[in-house]
Amino acid sequence: MKLQDFAQVVRSKNAGPRRFTLDIIFRNDADYRRAAQSEALTPEKIAPLYGVAANTVTVINYPLGRAIKIVIPRKIMSGDPGDRDVYGAQQHTPILELDL
Amino acid sequence: MSASARILDQFARSKFARSNGSHPIRILGASGQLGYGIPTPAFSAGLDRQPHLIGCDMGSIDIGPYYLGSGEMATAPASTRRDLRKVLLGALKHQIPLVIGSAGSAGARPHLEKTLALVREIARDDGLGFRMAVLRADIDKDVLKAALKTKGVTPIDDMPALDDQDIDAAANIVGQMGMSAFQRALAAGVDVVIAGRACDTAIFAALPAMTGFPVGPAMHMAKIIECASLCCVPGGRDAILATLDHEGFELDSMAPQRYATPVSVAAHSLYEQSDPFTVHEPEGRLDLARATYHAIDNRRTRVVGARWEDAWEHWVKIEGARKIGERAVLLCGTADPKFIAQHDKLLKEVEIVVRDLVCEDTAEDYVLTWRVYGVQGVRMTPAVAQTPPSEAFIMAECIAPTRERAAEVVRTTKQYLLHHGYEGRLSTGGNLAFPFTPPEVSIGPAYRFNIYHLMRTADLAGLFPLEIETL
Repeated sequence: MKLQDFAQVVRSKNAGPRRFTLDIIFRNDADYRRAAQSEALTPEKIAPLYGVAANTVTVINYPLGRAIKIVIPRKIMSGDPGDRDVYGAQQHTPILELDL
Repeated sequence: MSASARILDQFARSKFARSNGSHPIRILGASGQLGYGIPTPAFSAGLDRQPHLIGCDMGSIDIGPYYLGSGEMATAPASTRRDLRKVLLGALKHQIPLVIGSAGSAGARPHLEKTLALVREIARDDGLGFRMAVLRADIDKDVLKAALKTKGVTPIDDMPALDDQDIDAAANIVGQMGMSAFQRALAAGVDVVIAGRACDTAIFAALPAMTGFPVGPAMHMAKIIECASLCCVPGGRDAILATLDHEGFELDSMAPQRYATPVSVAAHSLYEQSDPFTVHEPEGRLDLARATYHAIDNRRTRVVGARWEDAWEHWVKIEGARKIGERAVLLCGTADPKFIAQHDKLLKEVEIVVRDLVCEDTAEDYVLTWRVYGVQGVRMTPAVAQTPPSEAFIMAECIAPTRERAAEVVRTTKQYLLHHGYEGRLSTGGNLAFPFTPPEVSIGPAYRFNIYHLMRTADLAGLFPLEIETL
């Protein structure tokens, strides 16, 4: 099943000007567990989608919020020449179709 | 008696009268972005609950380097004035402190001065009298250079190491003040506190922490209510009331349609943070690893378990932006399938044509960047193979040393992109559609963040000086 078909929230936002973070929030514990245990949401799988090295990507499971946080470095700092998304609010789309 | 003195006195008496600590403290989170509108029904409902403080966050680093560099506010003066007036009147009527942090979007001197000018204007027009604390957040360049010399500066998130040239080049440099700055202001006996760049938490946590409430829950509460009702489902900008006791706090959105549920509140700890379990402040570290969230009913949540550790030395987050040139853009569209299919190659060809023309007698002193919306204008990620769209929007952006030079480059680009010939071209009347003319816009100065570092300080009070003004 694709992530966008069962996640409640898939959002991205800057966490400071040099990182953006993806927050994936689920409707229930079963959906959360399915995603948290999935091989698709690992630094190795996510890094190539963003053109960065796997060791620069952090995946944090957050069961209390039924959420998974992924922190990714920005290749261009927020607002630098060539930036496409100063707030980093539209960088969630590459993971929408991940098969979990 | 000033509002802060009244509230501090009230809690000192309450603590004396009760063996298990004072009665709870109520903090109204009125706005996470003052200046974009504060919904009146929820704000009024919040005031009816007799809060002990109104807090508003007014700025962020998320809006990019332009505002910090230029000294401009992101919000419109008229809407900013309306919001300021609303919270000022509410606070004065109820004789409770109003605390505003990161004044004027980026919290440097020009932003603070613009905010103070609006506050003075409101006071004059409405005939209001009050005592106002002003906390400045500008970091003196010599102080930062001295810290650099003693290894008291460290980059955040892989920023390059700082040097004296970066410091000299910055148009504005601010530090994020923590709760101790606000506590100095509140202890001085004031009705209103207007602060430059500040930790959003400090606005809301300073008063509870100085009235004897445990710092962990106070700081955790602050972290959540600094975005008003964004922690609810559905999230929104309506005011939120937090009620803090000596164990934890309760959250109650002042908009009845917004539900603060255990999951929505817990999930908010993720927002704009790279670590959902830890928040670093100049005065210490908030540890949320053992925080728990419990439903009181279907729209209120109680939170306990946050812990606080005092820092053994103080590190302040420093932000600076420097001017990198003047920006101009060209805005145009295309619907030609042949042009869209070959756009990558064609744009590169036009870039060379333009360079050869505008650099005939001048150095190549500008940067030209393309964004092709509909194809790849938004994603920062490697291109994905897809069917070409039926239309695309093209934005050419030039950053050059002067406004005139940037305009020259985009105007030349417009003309040669419009008439660029290529293999198989059918549309010899022009490659572009302009929604209006002129399609070139001079945006103004362009900035970049050149300081995003931590600075060690032994003098937090000296770094964020307090002034008192009586209106």
